[in-house]
Amino acid sequence: MPKFVLVMLTRVLGTAGPKKAAKAAAATTGKSARYYPADDVSRPKHSRAKKHNPPKIRPSFTPGTVCILLAGRFRGKRVVCLKALESGLLLVTGPYKINGVPLRRVNQAYVIGTSTKIDVSGVDVSNIDDAYFARTASASSEGEEEFFANDAAKPAVVSDTRKADQKKVDASILKVVESTPLMKNYLGSKFSLTKYDRPHSMIF
Amino acid sequence: MTAAGEMRQYQVVGRKAATEENTNPEAYRMVIFAPNPVAAKSKFWYFMRQFRKMKKTTGEILDCVELVEKNSRIVKNYGIWLRYDSRSGTHNMYREYRDLKLTGAVSQLYNEMAGRHRTRPRSIQIIRTATLGASELKRPNGAQFAQRRVKFPLPHRVDSAKRGQKALSDLTNVYLFTDTFFYAIEVVGRKTEHSDIRLSSSNDIQTNPY
Amino acid sequence: MGFSRYVEVGRVVFINHGPDAGKIATVIDIVDQNKCLVDGPEEITGVSRQVVSYRKIALTDLTVKIQRNARAKTLKAAWKEGDTLAKWEGSSWAKKLEAKKKRSNLSDFDRFKVMVAKKQKSRIIAQKIKELKA
Repeated sequence: MPKFVLVMLTRVLGTAGPKKAAKAAAATTGKSARYYPADDVSRPKHSRAKKHNPPKIRPSFTPGTVCILLAGRFRGKRVVCLKALESGLLLVTGPYKINGVPLRRVNQAYVIGTSTKIDVSGVDVSNIDDAYFARTASASSEGEEEFFANDAAKPAVVSDTRKADQKKVDASILKVVESTPLMKNYLGSKFSLTKYDRPHSMIF
Repeated sequence: MTAAGEMRQYQVVGRKAATEENTNPEAYRMVIFAPNPVAAKSKFWYFMRQFRKMKKTTGEILDCVELVEKNSRIVKNYGIWLRYDSRSGTHNMYREYRDLKLTGAVSQLYNEMAGRHRTRPRSIQIIRTATLGASELKRPNGAQFAQRRVKFPLPHRVDSAKRGQKALSDLTNVYLFTDTFFYAIEVVGRKTEHSDIRLSSSNDIQTNPY
Repeated sequence: MGFSRYVEVGRVVFINHGPDAGKIATVIDIVDQNKCLVDGPEEITGVSRQVVSYRKIALTDLTVKIQRNARAKTLKAAWKEGDTLAKWEGSSWAKKLEAKKKRSNLSDFDRFKVMVAKKQKSRIIAQKIKELKA
């Protein structure tokens, strides 16, 4: 109730917008202002919604950490973390050559970081940021005919720049991966729980 | 009084509060077993008003210190004389315990009296305690452990990891052995619905089921 | 050989419950039918002198030559004399515990390597069996 009363009061007293200016003018000249807005000017409501900061990255994720993806179409895959992006998402790659996981952003909540590390100092991902993954608006909006006619999903088109970037990143990671025996097979295999595996007591 | 956790031993000194007639009344000292100093002082007044014409409202506590066992390194035999109120009367009793500390023996006593005789701590009064040599022990149970060479097996052992585990029949996999057939009834998951029970002949199971 | 694991002074026990779980200690004296006094010795096994319930310990095959109520110093000397720690560590019980600990501390990559090694092993065995059957 009190909130409502407050709103009413502000309306009546008119402390808002151009009215305020008029009132101020009246105060200085002693006359009422000539200008008086005929229409109420709508002002955006004050929003208390807080802007969320990106989450803190868990210390287990450093550039080069081998991670296990837990959700999404690549669940169970072991991937290499390349860096944390501004948005708080992790930039990972399979590498694509080994297990088919492309350069991709993942939420750290759905990832297990392992203690295994790969040296990724030679991998340059400075050009890849959140904007890199932004969706591009489709060139032409779907017409009515297409909407009814074409039900088949259009094949996803991967841009050439992405392909080139993936190749570049893969090449530099592969060099490091191959220097460790079994590492390539490890990244190529999927994580799964078997009998007597208790994930809460496992060390990764 | 309650026997919350380990009992402790206190020496409590108290007297009648000084008056103009008697500026220096006689002080009394008492050794009391209690879980904490507050309970010890309360017990002091309880006993004091039975022995002398004194009470808490007209008296004062001069000192209350905890007595600590000098040597809690070796196991000793303790004899404890006590008096307790049962549901039908008051009894005197003598008991023996083996422990590192007298307070430990007294704690054992309170627990055992509660277990064997349903005696509450408030109805137990410890009269006297003594440290005894092996030859002075009167009870056979304590005496057999006070000998020089004690040796016995632990026959009924359950692996601590298996303690509290479910019976075999409750486990998810039940195997039945018969002379002619070897069936493995594999119950999938905890829900033992009929549709979940699969029967398979011995040909299917080549590997060790365990 | 007959039964030899008795509760007795000098018996080395394995503590399987409580803050000292996983350590070994020596029985110094027997308190009663439920508990005994044990001492590590602390300098060797990390178990301080204390009373423990039989429920929390498991008896080992090892014994140490000591008197009842032995001091920490004499106990330590007896352990050194009998080379008890080495005997314990050489036992299959201790080795199993060690292996178990090692297994539980493996990282994900280590587990993968173990899996590969196991596969190789079973392949070799299968190969050999095939040769022998032929």
